[in-house]
Amino acid sequence: MDINAISTQIDLDIQGVHSSEGLEEFRLKYLGRKGVIAELTSTIPSLSKDERAAFGQQVNSLKNRLLALVEDKQKTLSVQSENTTYTSFDIGMPGIAQGLGHLHPVTQITDEICSIFSRLGFSIVDGPEIETEYNNFTGLNIPLEHPSREAFDTFYLKDYAKLLLRSHTSPVQVRAMQERKPPLAIVVPGRVYRPDAVDASHSFMFHQIEGFMVDAGIKFSDLKGVLEKFAKAIFGNTINMRFRPHFFPFTEPSAEVDISCIICKGKGCSVCGRKGWLEILGSGMIHPHVFKHVGIDAKKYTGFAFGLGVERIAMLKYGINDIRLFFENDLRFLKQF
Amino acid sequence: MKITYNWLKDFVDIKIPAKELAAKLTMAGLEVVALEEKAGDFVLEIEITPNRPDWLSVLGVAREIAAITNTKLKIQNPKGKVRSAKGNFKIEIEDKKDCPLYSARIIRNVRVAPSPEWLRKRLELIGCRSVNNVVDITNYVLFELGEPLHAFDLDKLSQDKIIVRRAKDSEKLLAIDEEERNLKSKVLVIADRNKPVAIAGVMGGKETEVTTSTRNVLLEAAIFDPVVVRRGRQALGLQSEASYRFERGVDLTIVEKASLRAAQLIQEICGGGDILFLSSGLTKPKEIRVDLDTVYVAKILGVKITRPKIKQILCGLGFKVRQKSKEVFKVGVPSFRQDIKLQVDLIEEVARVFGYDNIPASQPAVKPEITVREKRDLVSAIKAILVGLGVNEVATYSLLDKAVLNNLDLNLTKPIEILNPLSQDQEILRPTLIPGLGRAVSFNINQKQDYVSIFEIGNIFLGETKPKEELVLGLALSGTNSFLLEQGLVKDEAGLLNLKGILETIFLRLGIQGYEFNNQGALNCAIRIQNEKVGLMLGLSPKALEGLNIKNREVFALEVSLDKLFSFVRPDKKFTPLPKYPGITRDISFVLKDDLSVKDILLALRQKGQPLLNDIRITDYYKGKQIPAGFRGLTLSCFYSSNERTLTEKEIQPIQDLLCGTLMQTFGVKMR
Repeated sequence: MDINAISTQIDLDIQGVHSSEGLEEFRLKYLGRKGVIAELTSTIPSLSKDERAAFGQQVNSLKNRLLALVEDKQKTLSVQSENTTYTSFDIGMPGIAQGLGHLHPVTQITDEICSIFSRLGFSIVDGPEIETEYNNFTGLNIPLEHPSREAFDTFYLKDYAKLLLRSHTSPVQVRAMQERKPPLAIVVPGRVYRPDAVDASHSFMFHQIEGFMVDAGIKFSDLKGVLEKFAKAIFGNTINMRFRPHFFPFTEPSAEVDISCIICKGKGCSVCGRKGWLEILGSGMIHPHVFKHVGIDAKKYTGFAFGLGVERIAMLKYGINDIRLFFENDLRFLKQF
Repeated sequence: MKITYNWLKDFVDIKIPAKELAAKLTMAGLEVVALEEKAGDFVLEIEITPNRPDWLSVLGVAREIAAITNTKLKIQNPKGKVRSAKGNFKIEIEDKKDCPLYSARIIRNVRVAPSPEWLRKRLELIGCRSVNNVVDITNYVLFELGEPLHAFDLDKLSQDKIIVRRAKDSEKLLAIDEEERNLKSKVLVIADRNKPVAIAGVMGGKETEVTTSTRNVLLEAAIFDPVVVRRGRQALGLQSEASYRFERGVDLTIVEKASLRAAQLIQEICGGGDILFLSSGLTKPKEIRVDLDTVYVAKILGVKITRPKIKQILCGLGFKVRQKSKEVFKVGVPSFRQDIKLQVDLIEEVARVFGYDNIPASQPAVKPEITVREKRDLVSAIKAILVGLGVNEVATYSLLDKAVLNNLDLNLTKPIEILNPLSQDQEILRPTLIPGLGRAVSFNINQKQDYVSIFEIGNIFLGETKPKEELVLGLALSGTNSFLLEQGLVKDEAGLLNLKGILETIFLRLGIQGYEFNNQGALNCAIRIQNEKVGLMLGLSPKALEGLNIKNREVFALEVSLDKLFSFVRPDKKFTPLPKYPGITRDISFVLKDDLSVKDILLALRQKGQPLLNDIRITDYYKGKQIPAGFRGLTLSCFYSSNERTLTEKEIQPIQDLLCGTLMQTFGVKMR
């Protein structure tokens, strides 16, 4: 066989290869067990001694050329095949991933608020939902027979005297101050219960966050400073705030805190009742009677306390208009948060 | 409470427009919730906090305006000749604690008629219906001075005496609101010789009310004990402008002034002759004095207010301020300020008028407590895992109706009952999260959700000798979860194994070891950790599903006590060196009878394969056409490795043979 003729045929054949199948055919034709190279090699022993070496070299170089050709062709073919897959791929199909669940909006707001106070150095503490009448009222300077108690209407337990479902998270103040010594900086999230008829803005169960700080030298101006940091962290730096005198039995002086309406920016709209302000929490300096009840020396220590409704904050922040949605647990609602 | 701008002007010169006045009042603690221009006047609706009964009158609000605008209050002290009614009439007070002061004026020959225009208009502006001139005058003075008054038709009373006493249990009274009330000894009444004629401090009687035929009037002005009035009106289930004020406390010193003012208005408007006066009880309250340390003012508020400024503020509010020492004032509290008892009460007064806005904001030095990972952090970690697994958090009510528990086959102890539920769905505290979750599932199925996966972490309540709260995780799954993969849509129907997988993920993440799931009935498994039962998972029974109004759907739920689970948490992690030598993987495929547990097989093989068998996992699982009924096809992938050398096929083969032998002999599987 004429090596040169074969070499020319190889050049022709390789140009005709356009697929991996074609390449395999090509490889088998030349490099396979019964291929051209094998055939050429098998003739070597029949040659004369002088011819053998030269012919062997020629076959060898031909074989190397073939191997290189196959390798090159393989590369070009695989690039081409990548290109063809690419064009037929639809990125418009939905991405493949395990869908995440959603945390309840009350959890999200609670976590956000607790995290703000955590960063300010407050500890997060829990308290029981079943409370004593003492911790819920008397220890907090709320007289049992006075109109000031009306804001704290309460569910009582049937077979357990003087036990009730806490109507606010403030009883944890009493517990924490009995158990620990100042300095104290604590926030308490949790469920509270009031026998209110249910409507768009009332629920017999909701969530509150109580916070308080007790140390020597805590002042009303500190209350303002801390709550300002909090309100701006949660509602943004552009809001205005005001502290309005109010009454709570467990604080004196007491203040309600308003922020400029986040819907109308203070101009007056239906959300803020045309007032331009939204009440977000109640606060004040801890009443000396509360300190007396828990055995903290009011001459040595002062403190502030505040409480807020989690659903209210969530409703304002997310624009939710009905408190019942939080407990209906419609997945179409929950999945928005 | 509603009040008008012009009425206030009778008592104080107001030089600012109504809108500005409303803003000033709000920032002084009298929150104006509505302001309306009406009939040439402005009506302000003010929310009065329960500690300030003195603000429940035009006079009280005017006094506040005088203080915050730094002007003087115009006080009109009514004067006039009054004759004593002694001899004609007697007042008997059964218990001076119930009624510290009772006074009566008798005005004869009045002409009862509609009120003059000005009187009618003022009352109507503040939402008080006009009745007749005498009744309107008593209401007018109530709103103006804050003392509730009542006028009786004198001729309808037994004309010798008025008795203030507790009602007898069998007594009845038809009140002005035309409703007959059964009285109780809780209720304080005004009675004549024969019978009760009014509910003291709450409402008058129909029979003795002033009508157009009334000629002679007995005008009552009194003080009733706040708690007695409160209990009485709660027992009778009614409330009035009078009871509202008595419950909060009425100023003793205003009684006589109000009574005289009303009597004179009656004379003026309704005619009427001499005023006869009779009174029994306290006339002068004890003056309370409170020391105010001006240094302490700055300490509490964080702002320095000068002593003259403090004095000016307090004097403006009606306090008497005397110097006790250089830094301390002795402050005399006026009788209408029963709320002032402590130094801090005075500090609030100073701060209010000084303006909360004028107090700066400061940052306290916090000394933070650094605590170890607490319950709350573990709860957050579990929530994060669950959300990562595609489960949604819900919040269901802690209160439930009793009936919902009947359909559940859970062994529950008697739940804690609520004494005063408003409705049936608040009868008990939930002893389990499952019914609440079941209802949430049912709600969402009704909203056409194909797949519902929800959880809640919250307290359940157990009625033991002392009520106990336990933090639990509840989780419910229902329906078919679909995943769109490149090969096509894969459907996963929820079942107990999904619940198991979720729990295993949590256990793994929290380092909880030695857990088991034990069947305790069809579709009902106990969950144990180190032999302690921590919860259960189950498929809800047809009866339970029916109770939840769920049709044609299965629901799987679990409940695990986190309080128990947390004691098994081992968050500490220890590093195991990575293998130095590559391992060998060998697969075994076989067919297994349905009633054999894969758990037992894996356990046996792990044991037999020691020490070189490092891991064994299921790489294929099949039920269907190619497998006979009652069997399932399984492929296990066994991974062999050693820390000392690279293993050879020769070493592995005997172990692999041993495993196959065990499978065939112990479990009777057929190799494939």
